[in-house]
Amino acid sequence: MHIVVCLKQVPRDNSVKINPDLSINSDGIEQIMNLFDEYAVEEGIKWNEQHGGKVTVLSLGPDAWKEQMRRALAMGATDALLLNDPAFTMLDTIGAARVSAAAINRLGDVDLVICGRNSTDDESGAFGPALARVLGWPQLTYVGKISELDDNHIVAERHLEEQIETVETKLPAVITVVKDINEPRYPSLLRIKRVAKVEIPTMSAAEVDLTAADLQPVTTIANRVPPPPRQKGEIIQGGDAREKVRALVEKLRAEQVI
Amino acid sequence: MANEIWVYIEKARHADNIAAISRELLGKGRELADAQGATLAALVLGSGVRALAERAFAYGADKAYVEDDEALAQYTTDGYVGAAAALAQKYEPTLIMTGSTFQMRDFSAALAAELNAGLAVDVNNLSIDGDQITAVRMSHGGNVINTLQFAAGRPVVASVRKQSFPEAQEQPGRSGEIVEEALPQIDLRTIVKSVAPKQGAVNLADASVIVSGGRGLGSAENYKKLIPALAEALGGAYGASRAIVDAGWIPYEHQVGQTGKTVSPKLYVAAGISGAIQHLAGMRSSRTIVAINKDPDAPIFRVASYGLVGDVNELVPLLTEEINKQRG
Ligand SMILES: Cc1cc2nc3c(=O)[nH]c(=O)nc-3n(C[C@H](O)[C@H](O)[C@H](O)COP(=O)(O)OP(=O)(O)OC[C@H]3O[C@@H](n4cnc5c(N)ncnc54)[C@H](O)[C@@H]3O)c2cc1C
Ligand SMILES: Nc1ncnc2c1ncn2[C@@H]1O[C@H](COP(=O)(O)O)[C@@H](O)[C@H]1O
Repeated sequence: MHIVVCLKQVPRDNSVKINPDLSINSDGIEQIMNLFDEYAVEEGIKWNEQHGGKVTVLSLGPDAWKEQMRRALAMGATDALLLNDPAFTMLDTIGAARVSAAAINRLGDVDLVICGRNSTDDESGAFGPALARVLGWPQLTYVGKISELDDNHIVAERHLEEQIETVETKLPAVITVVKDINEPRYPSLLRIKRVAKVEIPTMSAAEVDLTAADLQPVTTIANRVPPPPRQKGEIIQGGDAREKVRALVEKLRAEQVI
Repeated sequence: MANEIWVYIEKARHADNIAAISRELLGKGRELADAQGATLAALVLGSGVRALAERAFAYGADKAYVEDDEALAQYTTDGYVGAAAALAQKYEPTLIMTGSTFQMRDFSAALAAELNAGLAVDVNNLSIDGDQITAVRMSHGGNVINTLQFAAGRPVVASVRKQSFPEAQEQPGRSGEIVEEALPQIDLRTIVKSVAPKQGAVNLADASVIVSGGRGLGSAENYKKLIPALAEALGGAYGASRAIVDAGWIPYEHQVGQTGKTVSPKLYVAAGISGAIQHLAGMRSSRTIVAINKDPDAPIFRVASYGLVGDVNELVPLLTEEINKQRG
């Protein structure tokens, strides 16, 4: 079985700045594997240990993302592929899905693609569904448990806000996973060392046979600004604890929040 | 493209009506349609859902596209996106609005990809100026406000965050035109085998008041004793920082923040929470924020509307008591 795990590198926290060209500036913030992608990697490795085959981590991003791809290799992924081209910086989500789909089609023998439920920087969760649609494969989003997986089908639980759906679909398919699904492993130091110098293959737009027209975004960012500062708050002073609490309740009532 | 704005209609879970989010979207849709001289249409998919079209008319829709078919009894991406895409290709709306529950995020992203449309996820504002649709959404834990625009001539699919727009007012007796279409030939590859309610589900996104506790409470026992009681007094739900979720005091369902839930209630109370940037990411857009912390320099006070400096284990029960007293 060949499982592809889509992986994004993100800043550890979101105290980012906005560059004049509207790109995001996360200089000085440590880069980590998108939290939900750790679960995606773990799930890929777990089933690979059972079925054999390959687990390929796939990223569409800059060279710097190789660091977290290596972490996935240290966790136990067998292969990696970075989609990297200056032309990719202008892609919208559906365009990114189109490029990734082209690469997955080139790999040829992929049975299952696992994504995270969303990235913690963009917070959209649109990539997985878009990828499934471009590939023409079925999708199962918000998967919290895979109960059956073989070459032809998957049975899984979708963990929605208030209900759990048990669903079955045909492979190849795309799924996105939530935290309930597993406990991601920590790669050992030995394994981290072993993959430190592994070459990560890359592909450009031309290598996945896409033209400028395929990369043309429909959705563009017209502006980006930081949020307006919150109105300055008030520390309630004076009196003992009970008096302060009373004063607070008065203010909340006056504002009609309670 | 036709000069039409579509709203995906969801059924209210516990009432014989359309959901609050659908009423919000119809309200906004009506405003946009009136300004543009456009038609506002309801998109009604499901099985036995024809009555929802009438409800949508009562809340402002001029028209309803209905696909009522047993094959749509359960949501599946194939069924719903297949049905919606066929309608959209035939009738060519400029804008399709949906809610932003997990199911609707699944639907809207797949539909946009299917139509090669513009896509905006979890937006909190939308406007139309001539041919130009503009959507606003937050990213990076509320630290970045993105204004999105879309290529000319492409439809736009936008999922909208709850409580972004006021609900439409009901106008009893208002009617509209129903366009009923048969479900197109779709390969339904996914089968829903069962649907079960989630144990201990907490719908923080719907709560208008949230009381969250953090490590400052000292122990799981203190959390359980104090936080749900205050939440109940305020008629709200209770949340948590990641620190205490990781410590096993309370299930992940309750976590607010970058890797938990994003909420924006009318009132958010943070008790014994330091206000790490990842926590703020999930709650900073709440209308009124109350922080209770013994450290006057705790970062949570920087976003708080009101702060109480002191011991949570003393202040929280007093607050609960005062509120219960006032409620009588
Ligand atoms: C990638 C990543 C993602 C993360 N995602 C999230 C997330 O989604 N949500 C989240 O919450 N965190 C998240 N975190 C963790 C975050 O950085 C903080 O560690 C966490 O929010 C701290 O929780 P806390 O405020 O309960 O604990 P602490 O930071 O330990 O704060 C406890 C606070 O309680 C106060 N206190 C102590 N005793 C008392 C007392 N008796 N009375 C009153 N106050 C008292 C202290 O002054 C302190 O301010 C994430 C971190 C990373 C790296
Ligand atoms: N540029 C990318 N490269 C690889 N995977 C991605 C990329 N963007 C998104 N993904 C995957 O899609 C998921 C959802 O991301 P998003 O749609 O950005 O919220 C992530 O958890 C990844 O698994």
